[in-house]
Amino acid sequence: MAGRIGRREFLKRGAALGAAAVLGKGNLNELAREKSVVAVGVGGDPEKAALGAVKLLGGISNFVPKRSKVAVLVNVQSRHPGTFTRPEILRTALRLCQRAGATVIDCLSLQPMKQWQDTGLAKVVEEEGAKLKLFDPKDESLFRAVHVPDGRSLPEAKILNELFSHDVFINMPITKDHAGNKFTGTMKNLMGLNFSATNRTFHKPNWKTDPNDIAHLEQCIVDLNKTIKPTLNIVDATEFISTNGPFGPGELLKPGKVVAGTDRVAVDAYCASLLGLKAGDIIQIARASEQGLGEMDLLKVRIREMRV
Amino acid sequence: MSKRMSWAWSFAVMMAIAGAAFSPSGLSQESGLSGLLPKSAALAGWTPDGSPQEFKGDDLFVYIDGGAEIYLEYGFSRAVVQDYRTAGGRAVSLEVFEMADPAAAYGMYTFKTTGKGKPIELGQGGQLEDYYLNFWKDRYLITITGFDEDPETVAGLLTVAREADLAVRGEGRRPTIIDILPAEGLDSGSVLYFRGRLGLNNAFPMAAPGNLQAREGVRARYGQGQLVVLDCGEGEPVRESFDSLKAIFQGGGRFQDFIEAEGAISAADEKGTPYRASVVKGWVLITTGFEPKTSKNLLDSLRRKL
Repeated sequence: MAGRIGRREFLKRGAALGAAAVLGKGNLNELAREKSVVAVGVGGDPEKAALGAVKLLGGISNFVPKRSKVAVLVNVQSRHPGTFTRPEILRTALRLCQRAGATVIDCLSLQPMKQWQDTGLAKVVEEEGAKLKLFDPKDESLFRAVHVPDGRSLPEAKILNELFSHDVFINMPITKDHAGNKFTGTMKNLMGLNFSATNRTFHKPNWKTDPNDIAHLEQCIVDLNKTIKPTLNIVDATEFISTNGPFGPGELLKPGKVVAGTDRVAVDAYCASLLGLKAGDIIQIARASEQGLGEMDLLKVRIREMRV
Repeated sequence: MSKRMSWAWSFAVMMAIAGAAFSPSGLSQESGLSGLLPKSAALAGWTPDGSPQEFKGDDLFVYIDGGAEIYLEYGFSRAVVQDYRTAGGRAVSLEVFEMADPAAAYGMYTFKTTGKGKPIELGQGGQLEDYYLNFWKDRYLITITGFDEDPETVAGLLTVAREADLAVRGEGRRPTIIDILPAEGLDSGSVLYFRGRLGLNNAFPMAAPGNLQAREGVRARYGQGQLVVLDCGEGEPVRESFDSLKAIFQGGGRFQDFIEAEGAISAADEKGTPYRASVVKGWVLITTGFEPKTSKNLLDSLRRKL
């Protein structure tokens, strides 16, 4: 795999950058210097597609060191088909983390248990021996104020404290339509770790009429992503709604893909294309690229596909 | 007061109280929306699974985290959600959204349907998609979602929907702006009625970067082309909106071949799709994807109606 670095070197550089970015100190431009890789597992079996995507990135041990503590964030926002991360993909990720030697694997969520149960995700967490940790999104004491470096609309994020007790963060959204900004992917998923009252400020008070509201919302998402850098993103693009997002029900597209990578912007740009959208038309992707979070030009990204 | 007079008076008072307590939908104002939920006796093997959940006003964010805004933009009052299940384990979920008025219910219905579904005779308009259906009636939008596409599940959608339809007794009027649309060639399933910024951005994404403002609007397909009608308000609002649209068409990058003539502006996007727009009173009219002659005819037809 071109651009691949040695395991020891990767862990040294990746862990340092990841930890720093989580704490809001990372130089995000450093992450974009090497050509981004978007890995895509394609096939009818979501587990195999997820395995394939991670394999294309050199395997899970490139991201999950032995004896590490892993935090996992899936999208469990709705139980309608094509609106939540598939349980099979979560199962694969949990098994991979275990095989890599992780000692702690926690699924963190601000959503209620009913969502986890109705989507079948709670069952997977239990069966795979991971821990489901649910938090009250309205309890401000559970969140840590984090200064946003170069925060243009969001000066301060409030990130779930629990995240900081982990070494590795795996971001596992489903990509789908969104009524407000037309697209949901890796970057928007991080709102699932932010204090709900802060998320509300992503909309302006006069959001119903203010034409700048969507740009403000998108910039807040970009700013939030300046405080958290997932170690790895694994995106469910097997089957998702292309209308009436993010909650659904809506028209389903079924590309049968699992998309993985460390460059959120590149991964989101690729996923946007699956929805028939141009990355540059999605304000959050365009701004994230401009502000150094990653590469949105897919011609400059190494896209590797594996049929499974 | 005689006994007969006293009885008549009491009867009149009881009738007045009953009349005040029940809305035209047949729903008691005192009761929650749960009064509209079908009961198992009428559901041929489908029984309620768990208790109904109700959400009012901004509480909708609790249920639809990250997606409540569009309901609130149209005008949302409250919602109730109830799951139904068969003994064999098939499940569907019924959502009843009580909107602020029938136009809001109709609008949300047009937002949630694609026109690609199968039209069904439910309420004042319904569409069945692969695994879900939507219909609207009075100020209610009703969505029923199956968790798979099995024929038994799809049959369950219809069973629950028919009972929910019976529970809403009133009817409402759809927004009058819909009547402006020329009937000839209209793909009726494609109509999208909107009432704010989010709806506008979905109906006409090109508007997103600009300052196009509309009190309400509608988008509809005619063959390969689309018509967008925006009620901006006469005077300054319509002038500002049209200027904004003009700036988008002239902006370069996305559009080229800008022309302004005979009170209309036109341009083509990067794929060569033609756009044309003009103003009539407080309205901005936009066509996309039509040959110039077809576009002109459509706009002239609208002009005569406004």
